[in-house]
Order: sequence, then structure tokens, then C-alpha cells
Amino acid sequence: MASTSISVSAAESPAFSFSASTFQKLHPVEFFRKFISQGVRPDGRLLEGFRPTTVHKNVVSTANGSAMVRIGGTTVICGVKAEVAEPKMDSPNQGYLVPNVELSPMCSSSFRPGPPSEQAQAVSEAINRVLKESKVLDLTDLCIEEGKAVWALWADVSCVSYDGNIYDAALLSVMTALSDVRIRKPTYNEGIIKVSGAEILDDENSFTLNLARTPLSATFSLFDSSMALLADANAAEEAICQGEISVTLDEKGQICALSKVGAASSSQTLLRQCIATARTRTDELRSIIRSQ
Amino acid sequence: MSRVELLTPEGLRVDGRRPAELRKITSTTSVLSQADGSAYIEHGNTKVLAAVYGPCEVRHRALAVHDRAIINVELNVAPFSTSERRRRTKTDKRLLEMSSFVKQTFEAVVMMNLYPRSQIDVYLQVIQHDGAMLQACINATTLALIDAGIAMSDYVCACTAGWIEREPAIDLNYIEESSDTSEVTIALLPKSGKVTLVQMESRLHVDKLEELLSLARDGCQQLYGELDRTIRDRAEDLAKKIVV
Repeated sequence: MASTSISVSAAESPAFSFSASTFQKLHPVEFFRKFISQGVRPDGRLLEGFRPTTVHKNVVSTANGSAMVRIGGTTVICGVKAEVAEPKMDSPNQGYLVPNVELSPMCSSSFRPGPPSEQAQAVSEAINRVLKESKVLDLTDLCIEEGKAVWALWADVSCVSYDGNIYDAALLSVMTALSDVRIRKPTYNEGIIKVSGAEILDDENSFTLNLARTPLSATFSLFDSSMALLADANAAEEAICQGEISVTLDEKGQICALSKVGAASSSQTLLRQCIATARTRTDELRSIIRSQ
Repeated sequence: MSRVELLTPEGLRVDGRRPAELRKITSTTSVLSQADGSAYIEHGNTKVLAAVYGPCEVRHRALAVHDRAIINVELNVAPFSTSERRRRTKTDKRLLEMSSFVKQTFEAVVMMNLYPRSQIDVYLQVIQHDGAMLQACINATTLALIDAGIAMSDYVCACTAGWIEREPAIDLNYIEESSDTSEVTIALLPKSGKVTLVQMESRLHVDKLEELLSLARDGCQQLYGELDRTIRDRAEDLAKKIVV
């Protein structure tokens, strides 16, 4: 009798047991929930923790200004090049500032080759709007000769490794690269504008940009209807989150851009919490840039 | 416009090198977190980043080959990489030509029959262009493929060579390339000494070719030493971390 009862309980023991990585592949949401319930994330961060961020200026010497930014596994390189261009008819003394973000298949196997994806275009447009609406740069500073020639600044962001949160990384790289920009002063000679090829750039023969403000951002993802707020989601977390809140602040703490997309409605306290955390994060980012 | 003096009377080039001298090489592997293998190489001011994904399933089933892998190379030149901003689209013929050279070079070296019905993707990003783009791309691809653990029969080391005024020189930079010199790129398998790629587009007297090729071969052997050292250092690093 005793032996049969033991064999019955042996047959009832769980038939399935997975390793953690198998479980993650089969039930990604459940896997994640197990961590969130303890208040941590699979990579060991707290819910409001940001990944280690590094910034390097002047990484590309052929560009007028450049920066490389790493946020966790996401690496982006931004190069700003200045070209002489004709101004628009209705703004004859204004230059151009054109950001462009590229997400090539190089940075992650989830991107396919081809024309810029919706995500890349959306991020480029978001950065473009922040630069325009916050009047980061007075475009009349870029005027060479009214109606004839102005500087066009092309800020190209190339993502070489994608692990989530491309917007924060791209905006940070654009702002750092803009602060690094040095443009040769052109000289005028009988109506022809010449930009000399002098090797060393100093304050005499070149100028830097006067940035009115430096907007930087912090992005949060919303997981589950329990509204767990995850700061700086990596690629795996982005795939299972339903919504995203992004806060862009300048150095005075003024909001330059605010966006909330997806997921069910979130409370006002949640938004306030995001803005407060974003303030701390962007201050941290500014000190990282300054120490460069 | 004054002509730049490519070779001074003392025999120094525009950047102060001797004709048979390579530029300073910096190379690291495993620089990207998402790719299976990655490498970064600098030849002086030419900076190239390579990422390898694979072997993985072929994207378009029709292209799969039953007994070997297919290699796919995509070369991307960043708009800020040259002194004049040039937006090169992905379908630019020059870039497609160069990526097909890289592809054909490695098809001969990678043991493709070990990975049937699969695809190996190589992505190259030129961050800064100061001459010798094909050379840097091939060297970076070698390191990235090794970093990804893809079986190859040998390293592939590439080097450019050209006649500057009256001296044969190796590892040409942008100024030297854009002037009226004949430039050849060769890719070499250092252990066997076999040449997998020879690429030249300018006029050159046939007598002068032999000298250039032998100089380029020496350059490749030098490069092989550098690349091998990078790989061995990285392997030692990893071995130390495994043995606890």
C-alpha cells in the first residue's frame, strides 16, 4: 500500500521544468512578471533605473562636430556636417538644421534592409520637432549672406547597435554633437564665398554654435495594465511593453516635448512621476556631457 | 590651385610616413552587443566598423543553397565620413561593387559547406574615410567573422599600394588616392601566401606592377601580425575570464 501511494505521488510530480532562458522564450510576459513582482528587472535594474550611459565627443574628425553615445547596449554615432546652401525664399537669412536617424540592419537582426523604417522616420521627426519648437539654435546665426548663402547643418545619426530606447540616445548624441560643432568662417572675395582649408581650427578662423537650450530626454515604458513604469527599456522589454511615455526637458526643467502613446490610460500622478524622474536623469546626462 | 607635394625630396609622404610604411593600426573585436561578431579597425584616420550576423536562416527561402551558406555583404558609408558630405544611397553602384568584392573574397575563405541552407550577413559601416576603404573593410570583416566564430581557412589581409611620384608606396590615404596615382588593392591569405583579390582601375606599366604587388604582399603580412595579435589578446582575455 505504502509503495503504491509513493509511486502515485511520483507520477504527480511536475513533468515540465524549464531553464530560465527557455521560459523567457516561451512565455516572455510571464517571465517578466515574475521579476516585476519583486520590483526588479531581468538585467538587475530597479524599475526606475537607467542603464550606464557614456558620451564621447569629437570621434569623427571629418565631421564639423560628432559624438558617440552608449546607453547600455544601444550605441549611436552622430556626425554634424556643415554645407553652404541657398536659403528658402521666405526665410532668406535662415540656415537649416536637419537631423536624420538611421536604423540599419547592422544594429539589430530585427531590422530589415530597405528604405528607412517607420520607427527611424518617427524618431527623426521627433528630434526635428524638438530642435525646431524649442528653438535650440537661432537659424539666423547660420546666415552667410542674406538671400544668397546660408549654412545647412546635417546631423546624421547612425545606430550601430540597437538595444532599445533609440530616441534618448539619438537626441543625446545630436545635442552633444551640436555642442562640438566648429565651422570655418567663410571669407568674401568679389562676390565669391570661399571657405579656406586651413588645417587648425581656432577661435580666429572658425565659430561654434550658440545653443539657446539643450533639450535632453528620458523615456519610460508601460508594462501591463498594472502600469509598472520601466525607465529606459531595452529591446526585450520594449517588445513586451504596450505603451511609452517620453519626457524631453531643457536645463531649466522646462518641458520641450512630452509624449505618451499606447496602453490604457495612465493617471496624472504617473505622468508627474515621469517628469520628476526625467528631471533627475537629464541633470545627470548634462553632467556627463560637461565632463567630456 | 597649387599641387600638393606627395613626396618630399627626403622621401616623406604628406603625413610624414616613409613609402613602405603602414599607418597606425588600431583594432578591437566584440564592440557591438547585438551582433554575433563585430570588429572595429582604424588605419590612421580611416575608421570602419563591421558587424556579422549568422549563420542564421536564409531570409528568402528561394535563395537558400542546399549544401552551403550564402554570404551577404552590405556596405554603408556614413554621410559625415568624408570631408564633403555625400549622401550615398544603398544602391550606389560604387558601394555595391565594393560589397561584391568583399563578398567574393570571403566566399573563397569561409568554410561555407559547414553551414548549409544558412546565411551569413556582414554589415560594414565606414565612419571616417581617409583612403583605403576596401582595405579597411576586408580587414574589419576578417576580424568580425573570427569574432563570430565562423570557420575560415585563413585570415584575409588586404593592403593598397600605388606609385607616388617615383616611389612605390603602401596604405594610401585620401589625398594620395585622389591624385593621379595608380592604386591597387590586394587581399592575401597570409599562411599560404595566396592572393584572393586584386583590384586596380588605373593605368600602369606592366613592368611596374610586379614591384607594387610584392610591396603590397609585405604590407599584408605586416597587417596579419597586427590582426593576429588582436585576436589572440582577446582570446586570452576570454580564457582568463572562463578559468575562475
